[in-house]
Amino acid sequence: MHANGDGIPAKVLVTKIGLDGHDRGSRVVAAYLRDAGMEVIYTGPWQQIPAVVALTQEEDVDVVGISSLATDHLIVPKLMRALRDAGLAHVRVVVGGIVPDDEVSMLHENGVSKVFHPGSSREEIVAAVQQLAEQARCERPEI
Amino acid sequence: MTDVAAAVDRLIGGDKATLARALTAVENAYPHAAELLEALRPHTGCARVVGVTGPPGVGKSTLCNALIREWRTRGHRVGVIAVDPSSPLSGGAVLGDRVRMHEHDQDDFVFIRSLAARTNGGGLAASTAGAIVVLDAAGMDCVLIETVGSGQSQVDIAGVAKTTVVVSAPGFGDEVQALKAGILEIADVLVVNKADLPHAEQTARQLRIMLGLRDAQRWQPPVVMTSGHTGQGVDQLAEALQEHHDSIVTDTPAATQTHTVADLLRKLASEDPYVRHLGIEFITGGSGHASVRMRVQPSHISFNGTCHGGALFSLADAAFGLASNSHGVVAAGIDAHITYPRAVKVGDVLTAGAVEETRSRRFATYRVIVTRSDGATVATFTGTVATVGGARPGAPQ
Ligand SMILES: Nc1nc2c(ncn2[C@@H]2O[C@H](COP(=O)(O)OP(=O)(O)OP(=O)(O)O)[C@@H](O)[C@H]2O)c(=O)[nH]1
Ligand SMILES: [Mg+2]
Repeated sequence: MHANGDGIPAKVLVTKIGLDGHDRGSRVVAAYLRDAGMEVIYTGPWQQIPAVVALTQEEDVDVVGISSLATDHLIVPKLMRALRDAGLAHVRVVVGGIVPDDEVSMLHENGVSKVFHPGSSREEIVAAVQQLAEQARCERPEI
Repeated sequence: MTDVAAAVDRLIGGDKATLARALTAVENAYPHAAELLEALRPHTGCARVVGVTGPPGVGKSTLCNALIREWRTRGHRVGVIAVDPSSPLSGGAVLGDRVRMHEHDQDDFVFIRSLAARTNGGGLAASTAGAIVVLDAAGMDCVLIETVGSGQSQVDIAGVAKTTVVVSAPGFGDEVQALKAGILEIADVLVVNKADLPHAEQTARQLRIMLGLRDAQRWQPPVVMTSGHTGQGVDQLAEALQEHHDSIVTDTPAATQTHTVADLLRKLASEDPYVRHLGIEFITGGSGHASVRMRVQPSHISFNGTCHGGALFSLADAAFGLASNSHGVVAAGIDAHITYPRAVKVGDVLTAGAVEETRSRRFATYRVIVTRSDGATVATFTGTVATVGGARPGAPQ
């Protein structure tokens, strides 16, 4: 079971923004995280950025996972700004899917913690998300 | 150091981030959670807390979504706690309820929080009770709790919710049978959801029969047919919840509501010289029902040394009279029958609950059960009234 240092399961939002509707990948990742003992909110595709911010805040998640198979990752910087504006800078954001190499650094510059490429293993994803969740918990205001 | 007082101020002031973190603190039993809850408690007591339970897949989340919409049109602020089961193997969970409520994601007056049941039995009730305190203090008019209706969790939910809604649907008959004992105990309102599907009527009838088997209490759970998909019946559900809420509110003597049915009945009871003479006290009432209480006095005793049948009749008749005059038109009793299965002694505290069984334009019938404080039934009474006048002046419509 993967609990944070305090014994409390990591809480993760798995979602898709933009126009692409292929959500098989995000479903699989949500199941990986659940099977690793995390508490996952899974929304399905076509979420608007204000809705993702609202969910992140209301659910007090540690990590937001964005699945991008087409060009959805190009609007991730907009999401990062919106999260910061809402006082949610401690929340870690990861992107998974098809992201060209030269755009990976652009995402990192905008505050994305990790980009998973196709072929990333279950263990790799679980371990990284777990670690990022712990970091987020440490930085987050207690109340 | 966490500044709890500052957090309380922010939360009362409507800060969503603080609300979210306070819920996390309660859910995870953080060290300052108890102090926080203590500090929030004076700000609570206004929210109506509605628990929704029922078998998996019966449409609870979809119905909650529709109910939130209905409440929003009535101007209520809504807080939601959606509980999903945790995997017993990994301890993880996919929290799927709120996805069905996503139309409210961006509504500033709706706050939804998903909770994983975390397999720690009684802990769920504890963190849910804490979450209710937090949402209540944050100014929610309504707090809705969705939980899976299996095993202990539904009973727990009845402990923390003021109104418990048990949801069923056509094709869920077996599950309903399995829940039977639980339903009779905990349901304040029964819903047959998916009423857009065939056989919903049969399911509703089945539930009504099951309800008929239980002792009439102060509150008779209505059976409401809804569809979370089409929205049909959701306004009636909101009405039923409102009525149940009013029936609880009027149990509190401090309540100083005006213009409610209960107020009318309270007033009628207090102005009735015979009721006052016998020391009969109004407890609660609403549309089609009323209950009253009496402590048996030495002056109520017959030559046999037990409570006079006339005194018991008077108590039952008082409840009957109030219930039958609860619709705002003057009704007069034309027939009544009573059975006394058990002797009653001085000092016994008796409660009479009257419930409307049938009602037409001219006539209505009522059933009254008189119980002793230990739960024993001491009298059963049936009566018929005729509508004899027009609208009672000053009665709520
Ligand atoms: N026909 C019909 N289907 C409905 C209705 N409400 C929900 N459903 C369907 O029933 C299924 C379950 O709906 P949910 O709202 O998730 O049910 P639930 O009781 O919350 O499920 P759990 O939380 O998993 O126990 C979905 O496929 C819905 O589309 C309804 O009013 N009519
Ligand atoms: Mg549900």
